[in-house]
Amino acid sequence: MMSDRLIKIQLPIILTAIIGLLMIVEHFIPMPQTVTNANVTIRSFNTIVSAGALILGVVILSISHLRTIMNRRGSWYYSIIYIVALVITAIFGFISIRDENFLFIYDNMTAPIGAALYSLTAFYITSAAYRVFRARNWSATTLLVSAFIVLAMLIPVGAIILPPVVPIGEWLRSYPSSAGFRGMIVGTSLGIIGLGVRVFSGRQKEHLGLRVEKQGES
Amino acid sequence: MSIIDRLLNIDSRIIYLLLFLALAFPILYPVVLPMEVQQYSLTAFEFVDDIPDGSYVLFDGGNTAATYPQGGPGMIVNIVHLLRKNCKVVIFSTSVECVPFNQQAIDDALEKLSSDVSAENGVNWVNLGYIGGGGESAVAAFVNDIRSVLEADYFGTPINDLPIMEGVNDASDFAAVMWWGGSQGSIPWGIRQIVEPFGVPMTGQCTTNEVPNYSPYISSGQLQGLIGGVRGSAEYEYLLNLPGPALGQAMATNFGGLLWMIAVVLGNAFYLIKRARGEE
Repeated sequence: MMSDRLIKIQLPIILTAIIGLLMIVEHFIPMPQTVTNANVTIRSFNTIVSAGALILGVVILSISHLRTIMNRRGSWYYSIIYIVALVITAIFGFISIRDENFLFIYDNMTAPIGAALYSLTAFYITSAAYRVFRARNWSATTLLVSAFIVLAMLIPVGAIILPPVVPIGEWLRSYPSSAGFRGMIVGTSLGIIGLGVRVFSGRQKEHLGLRVEKQGES
Repeated sequence: MSIIDRLLNIDSRIIYLLLFLALAFPILYPVVLPMEVQQYSLTAFEFVDDIPDGSYVLFDGGNTAATYPQGGPGMIVNIVHLLRKNCKVVIFSTSVECVPFNQQAIDDALEKLSSDVSAENGVNWVNLGYIGGGGESAVAAFVNDIRSVLEADYFGTPINDLPIMEGVNDASDFAAVMWWGGSQGSIPWGIRQIVEPFGVPMTGQCTTNEVPNYSPYISSGQLQGLIGGVRGSAEYEYLLNLPGPALGQAMATNFGGLLWMIAVVLGNAFYLIKRARGEE
């Protein structure tokens, strides 16, 4: 039992801490060439592991859809579309990613579907803006006026119709907005540092699939 | 129900139809309205223009199906701009979906070039395809040792057989970086992994909604301007004097944006009338 814990919990934590610290130290302190070379190798491992993870993801997703089809669960017919699309695209992709048929699928199905999904946002945002973007109080009014000015600045004709929106919009973007985002960046960075310390010290074990054990320990 | 209530509860499909017409009309019947170039776009353009002729330029192409209509036209003219300066353009991507779009941008750029400009695959440009590894860590691996993560380009040609890659293996071999991030949120990867450690200057591109996210990097000097959305692409086309699809789409943005503003003004006017009547 002890060796099981060592392999499944302690070893991954130790490996994570050593590799993570090597990467961090190399960033701040000049290291011997052997350490730099080792870091380059470790980083290249990541591309290999991620390729394996991609295959694993496709396999798991396909199994899930196949089960849905076999059990006739919910909208199971959509799962058939997924399986058929995967198989056909994969066959042409394996022939060559420059294959005419593969590119036909990509150009005439993947690209228009992706663009259409993204474009739908504009319709929902416009409808939502008409319904809920209201000057109900001073905070909402400030947000409304700022959004109006920035949008007027961003649309190409805005500067022609309302020239003052350009300097005001640029000021909003360069100072209040920039300051807010800078705060977010600093806050996120501090959070990442904190998370890193917790992972390296073994206090954060969720990435090892140990949520239940952590709750038991605490 | 009063008329104000009816207007406030208008069927969403009517708004959708109006927006569709506002976007489709200028595309079907091009209307050219005046336009001012934004400072961010101008800075990005001038940064590219100031790159010494013949330099090696690293180019991340991160536009997908969703964002290529915005960023694609700008990418095309950016590649044209670099090849006209005889720069060696090394293109890669951290997302598998972007690779065909990068190649499409290259192909479209080659069509716009005059015959006296050298634009040979493997000599003047190369599409290195997709770097696996989940984003920033992939960038870190790539820019420290290109050959440790790639053996061949998009067409399967071994890297060591490509004249353009001779003597090029990490970010220090490049004079500048173009980071066409689309909506990936990936511009900080380039800043953290290339600009800071290697001191290579970089400009970027993103969708319009992401522009404010990167303003801190511009004011700190870590990002040399920014091409934002379809307007940014249109401005690049305008500055390079190479009109393309983005200028037409920017006009659609005009009408769509104006409709959004009218919708917000009307929605608030009806709301304030209702409140003045004591109905809210």
